[in-house]
Amino acid sequence: MVADLTAADFLQASQQSPEKPSSNIEAAALQVESLGLQLDGKVILHGVSFSLPTSGVTSVIGPSGAGKSSLLRCLNGLLTQWSGTISVAGASTRQWHGGWDQLRRHVGLIAQKPVVFNASIRANVCFGIHGWRQRRRADELVEKSLQQAALWDEVKDRLDAPAVTLSVGQQQRLCIARAVAIKPGILLLDEPTASLDPRSKQLIEQSMQQLAKETPLLCVTHDLEQAQRLEGSTIFMCDGRVIEQGESKQLFTQPQCIETREFLRWSVCDCN
Amino acid sequence: MNAQRLLYRDTISKSIVWLLAVPALLIPAIVLCYIFWQAAPVLDWGFIVGTADGAGFGITDGIFAQLLGSLLLAVMACVIAAPFALGTALFYRTYASPRQQRLLTAMFNMLQGIPPIVFGLCGLVVLVNLFAWGISLISGAVVLALVVLPLLVLNTLATLERIPLDYTEAGMALGLGSGTIIWRLWLPRSWLNLLTGLLLAMARALSETAPIMFTATVFSGVVWPDSLFSPVTTLQTHIFYLAQEGNDPQVISIAWGSAAVLVLLVASLGLLARLLHKLGEH
Repeated sequence: MVADLTAADFLQASQQSPEKPSSNIEAAALQVESLGLQLDGKVILHGVSFSLPTSGVTSVIGPSGAGKSSLLRCLNGLLTQWSGTISVAGASTRQWHGGWDQLRRHVGLIAQKPVVFNASIRANVCFGIHGWRQRRRADELVEKSLQQAALWDEVKDRLDAPAVTLSVGQQQRLCIARAVAIKPGILLLDEPTASLDPRSKQLIEQSMQQLAKETPLLCVTHDLEQAQRLEGSTIFMCDGRVIEQGESKQLFTQPQCIETREFLRWSVCDCN
Repeated sequence: MNAQRLLYRDTISKSIVWLLAVPALLIPAIVLCYIFWQAAPVLDWGFIVGTADGAGFGITDGIFAQLLGSLLLAVMACVIAAPFALGTALFYRTYASPRQQRLLTAMFNMLQGIPPIVFGLCGLVVLVNLFAWGISLISGAVVLALVVLPLLVLNTLATLERIPLDYTEAGMALGLGSGTIIWRLWLPRSWLNLLTGLLLAMARALSETAPIMFTATVFSGVVWPDSLFSPVTTLQTHIFYLAQEGNDPQVISIAWGSAAVLVLLVASLGLLARLLHKLGEH
């Protein structure tokens, strides 16, 4: 459904001015209350509520079509026609200072498929950097971001090479570096290691764990083992609803809901 | 038996397709061959470069002035139309409401359907007479710009539509505004395809005769325009005027020669556009 939309439709959506605030919720890095989303008459998310701690990794698991990716798009402001409340650092995203563009800088999103821009590795990392002060220390920022994304050692000698010459795994880490360079308050990752080789997967997981010490991460994954490896907490979603949320260790060993148990056992869910 | 019938049907359908396709491929090839066969006696370097002094009315002094006039008009028309086409396409893709998009689509479809001579007539009334620009390079270029504008807008729109959604989304996820996305993501990625559209528009401008007949061209006596407000001679109108002298074989062969040069020019632009398009896709 989302694939039917054109680039311009998304751009148009971003032009809509944010609405008036609904509430002002303090605490937690991110708080979602009764989030609902309907696209082309189909309900995608229904009464989704959860909160994200101020650090650590929170994994989102669930069958295909559960609404996990749509959830990330709502949180990041790529989708704006949702109902309910999303609060980041206590402020409703609908009244975010500077509008949706500024919200997206604060809530970074890394897509499943790495997308590098037609530019050098260095330019890709610097793409989101604004302001002369930041630009003056761009080299320092590039090095730090690439280190955080576990890519520095592989590209430090060819920062001016076109980004498209990198392998898919390296491109994904470059996307992480690019997102990290603008210092987001929260980082959302949509299946960041899907279809990557084990080595790249391992490097990205290491990078995520490193980043999670400073920034809360919300990671959608189909890889249940990965969700366990990343520790932190896990949210199980099915049919556009949050079925269960808890510490990863507990959720994977002692799930409370029968749907979670079934999903962990058979990787299917018959919620719908 | 059944298999034989299927084979028989397949052969018939193949034959029908071939019968329909071959003339469509053959006729243009025959026309091209005929043009170059007729033009062969006059086609040489001297014919193209000539003396360009305008004394021979493009018959004894080569067609250099006409060639330059055609190119100048086509280039100027595209230079005038390109920014408006780009602006319109960007407005359409980023800021226009669905209602405005429908209106723009209807308007450009309508503009494309208007016979070019109507633009020529409007140019004569408004630019040549009302604005008192006279029969001039600028009048012709503006009228030609109007003719190629819908083509450029539609091509630019198609180019922008080919930009993958995830490319734009990746920029948006970094908090880039629509202006930054346009200038730093869309245009650097699609400039080759936009250039392709510009070349195709130039080829279209070179093919137009009617809009410039009333607004820009004179038969001869002009070699190189002194200013934007001077008239020019062009290949298109040159062929038109020479073809009217149907009784003089020398004049007619000059017309064929001019036609061959014009065809070569348009074909070269088409080939270049194709090459750029391939590079852009790559």
